[in-house]
Amino acid sequence: MVRLNVLELEKSEYTGGKSSLCPGCGHDQISNNIIQAAWENGIQPEKIAKMSGIGCSSKTPAYFLGKSHGFNTVHGRMPSVTTGANMVNKDLSFLAVSGDGDTASIGIGQFIHAIRRNLDMVYIVENNGVYGLTKGQYSATVEKGSKKKKGKENQQAPIDLCAMAINLGCSFVARSFSGSKKQLTALIRAAMSHRGMAFIDVISPCVTFANNDESYKSYNYVKANDEVLHILDYIPHFSPLEEVEVPEGEFREVNLFDGSTLRLETVAADHDYTDAVSALSAIHESEKAGNHVTGLLYYDDDVPTATDTLGLSETPLVDLSEDLLRPSKDSLEKVNAGFRS
Amino acid sequence: MVTHKTLRLRRSPASDLLEALGTKKAMGKIVNDFVINVATANGTGSQSSNLIILHSMFEMGIPVSGKNLFPSNISGLPTWFIIRVSDDGYQAPGDYTNIQVLMNKDTWMKDLEGLEPGTIVVYNEDVKLPVDRDDCVLLGMPMTKMARKINPKLGRLIANMYYVGAVAHLLGIDEDAIGKAVKAQFKGKEKAVELNMQAISEGRSFAEESWEFECQYCVESREKNPDSFLIEGNEAIALGSIYGGISMLSWYPITPSSSLAESIIGWLPELRSDGDGGSTCAVIQAEDELAAAGMVLGAGWAGGRGMTCTSGPGISLMSEFIGLFYFSEVPGVIWDVNRVGPSTGLPTRTQQGDLSMLYEASHGDTQHIVLIPGTVDECFEFGWRAFDYAERFQTMVFGFNDLDLGMNRWVTSGFNYPDKPMDRGKVIRSQEELDSIANYGRYRDVDGDGIAYRTLPGSGLDPILYRGTGHDEDGIYSEDPQVYHDAMARLKRKIDGAREHLPEPVIREEENKELAVIFYGSMENTIVEIDDMLEESGLSVSTCRVRALPLHPEVEDFIRRHERTIVLEINRDGQLFGIIRKEFPADLIPKIHSVAYSDGMPPRARVYSDMILDVLKEVS
Repeated sequence: MVRLNVLELEKSEYTGGKSSLCPGCGHDQISNNIIQAAWENGIQPEKIAKMSGIGCSSKTPAYFLGKSHGFNTVHGRMPSVTTGANMVNKDLSFLAVSGDGDTASIGIGQFIHAIRRNLDMVYIVENNGVYGLTKGQYSATVEKGSKKKKGKENQQAPIDLCAMAINLGCSFVARSFSGSKKQLTALIRAAMSHRGMAFIDVISPCVTFANNDESYKSYNYVKANDEVLHILDYIPHFSPLEEVEVPEGEFREVNLFDGSTLRLETVAADHDYTDAVSALSAIHESEKAGNHVTGLLYYDDDVPTATDTLGLSETPLVDLSEDLLRPSKDSLEKVNAGFRS
Repeated sequence: MVTHKTLRLRRSPASDLLEALGTKKAMGKIVNDFVINVATANGTGSQSSNLIILHSMFEMGIPVSGKNLFPSNISGLPTWFIIRVSDDGYQAPGDYTNIQVLMNKDTWMKDLEGLEPGTIVVYNEDVKLPVDRDDCVLLGMPMTKMARKINPKLGRLIANMYYVGAVAHLLGIDEDAIGKAVKAQFKGKEKAVELNMQAISEGRSFAEESWEFECQYCVESREKNPDSFLIEGNEAIALGSIYGGISMLSWYPITPSSSLAESIIGWLPELRSDGDGGSTCAVIQAEDELAAAGMVLGAGWAGGRGMTCTSGPGISLMSEFIGLFYFSEVPGVIWDVNRVGPSTGLPTRTQQGDLSMLYEASHGDTQHIVLIPGTVDECFEFGWRAFDYAERFQTMVFGFNDLDLGMNRWVTSGFNYPDKPMDRGKVIRSQEELDSIANYGRYRDVDGDGIAYRTLPGSGLDPILYRGTGHDEDGIYSEDPQVYHDAMARLKRKIDGAREHLPEPVIREEENKELAVIFYGSMENTIVEIDDMLEESGLSVSTCRVRALPLHPEVEDFIRRHERTIVLEINRDGQLFGIIRKEFPADLIPKIHSVAYSDGMPPRARVYSDMILDVLKEVS
């Protein structure tokens, strides 16, 4: 039997072209999770705008959501293009994919300012610690002491994008791993239900240049050092495709903007995702231990979005008729008269 | 004590020249034909005083223009304001200063040194520096002391109003006109109006009582066009953009374009509210010019009318995005208010140094539409038209302005309402429209004009992933040599096709086709005077003001009809000349010559007319 989502669409309505990335690339797994999440959430594909910069990760919008418009922009500048599009059409759901080079180096300024504005978008960084498309140079997110397949061990401190996002007041900050299908899909689904900047840093091993065991972002390393904060279940505001079991142990529920819920089942200690200080502490403690902390790190549903603060028309600006975009002839007469007096 | 000297008046070369040019004289007086230069320090409020002089004369119907030469500084550095009064309508700074106002101790000596014999010097005695020019008319006034008497705290600012009074007395500016100008300058601030009026009036009385000198220059009222007013080019562009339906403004502060963005922000609440209190235009102050350009791209891609404004350094930063506009065919508008480059250059001075950069901005083969207003009326008109061109040709359109036209005040009789509805270009908005196009592809030229149809995000109509990488007619990634070649050939054809639709050149042609001058932009404000100077030398000169790139076919015809053509520009290398030489047939090139000069100053007619005469001598 063909399975349909709440819009009675098959999953194939959410797929894209054939990937040209290296076989086994973590990015392709993330693409699959994006397809899964968008399908399960029942988002109309045409209401999604796929955004990306330049790099291996930024190529992926060609491989998912073929029914959505998208823009593969320039290196590190995806946030500004998304900002402009969001200003004129706030009803679009922006789903952006970037890489660690695209976001943490060349595009770090635009990343910071998109967060500062709380741009209404899902921002996924496919983070592998290397520049894949230019053959494996280190990026700025590579950990001190990590070593890629060829070359020397990295000596510089990494930029932790999640910590940076929390410091900037990002309203939704999560980290996951491309190999953690359940966790990642739940986080993407929750991010799609959020209004404002939802940032997910996804560790995504580069199978070609940095999948050796000395690389902190290799499959083996991440699997062995994944510090999972909580088990995640996403419960949509409509009936879910699959039944969600109520966990027996401790759990907390995050109420999302569209009425959906993200259930956080405590694994070890309870993580307070509403407290920036404990979120930062979790990141830094984990980093000290050589681990990757994953899960919903920080969430704040009370941050106005970029369009909220501008007092824009209720109607998306792109749908306004000419009589609202061009002031009347009388008004120009008044302007002229004002200068004359 | 007050010191003043009444000197036997010596004629300055300026007055000789003016007389030779047929200056109107009444009872030995030189009427409405002189230049005032006011030297002050930045941040002392002198801009208000200077604008009051300017506006009071404008109020009397006298043809007057003002140039603010200001430093890249908020307070303390020297600034000059040049007021040109000319019944002939000359608006350039003029070759000589006839009345010099000295307020700034830092430039005092140099300002004095540079004056021609016979210049009238109105100076602030309280600066206590020597006024060592016996060959000039020296008129002192203790401006600071007098100002402190009426308001100790604001003395430094109000001192400037005393020279307004002095100049008003010397030239015979109507008290009513001064009153109106003061009221307009301090709109709604009753106390400020009162205080400044008092200072002006004291300045006038002092001059009347203490200076036994009858000034040879004077103003005479002319019939004022009741519709006319003065406005900065930047504000005219701002209004034009608003009437052009701008829906997103992104900007990063930079002189001399900030006032354009700030003017839009200022006008939006009144002009662009949706009736329920919502704004119909989003404004974002971006983190840098790259982001500002990216936002315009995003807005245009999503179907909005995005715009940013900047100056040369900003364009340099935006260049990568400009290539993406061109190659992915997204509409957008970028205004460049040119300042002096290269690099940080002279940030508060004027130049036409960005033209060739704009035309071919970004790497690879590109070519962009550039609109070049030469008057404030055109600033308004091109302000709204820019969006129509951008959406019609699905590309980034530059507006090219400069500091002189952008930040100085020029006369208009009022702006004309757009004479046609918005042109939203080839946008498919429904499935029926899409179905009616056989073999639709985002980049397929189905109409033969190089312009393909596009669909918008959110519409669900034939979506593609826009990209800056090579793409075929359906928008799919391609490195195929033929596909790339054909795509680039179509883009060339598309922009070429714009030539005839862009604003045509403004041509004024003489019977005798011996000499033609091609120019553009703010040179419009000096061209009449240059023309008159050339005609003094017995030349008859046709002029052609280019108003857009790529060049209109008329320009080539115009050159062809003339024996010699000069391309006149405010830059070093003759940038438009370079474009003409590259694009026009080889047989025309030998009779085209470049005259280009730039020193940061608004163009002075004598400099350019002399250079033109030199070039003509060389080539004849």
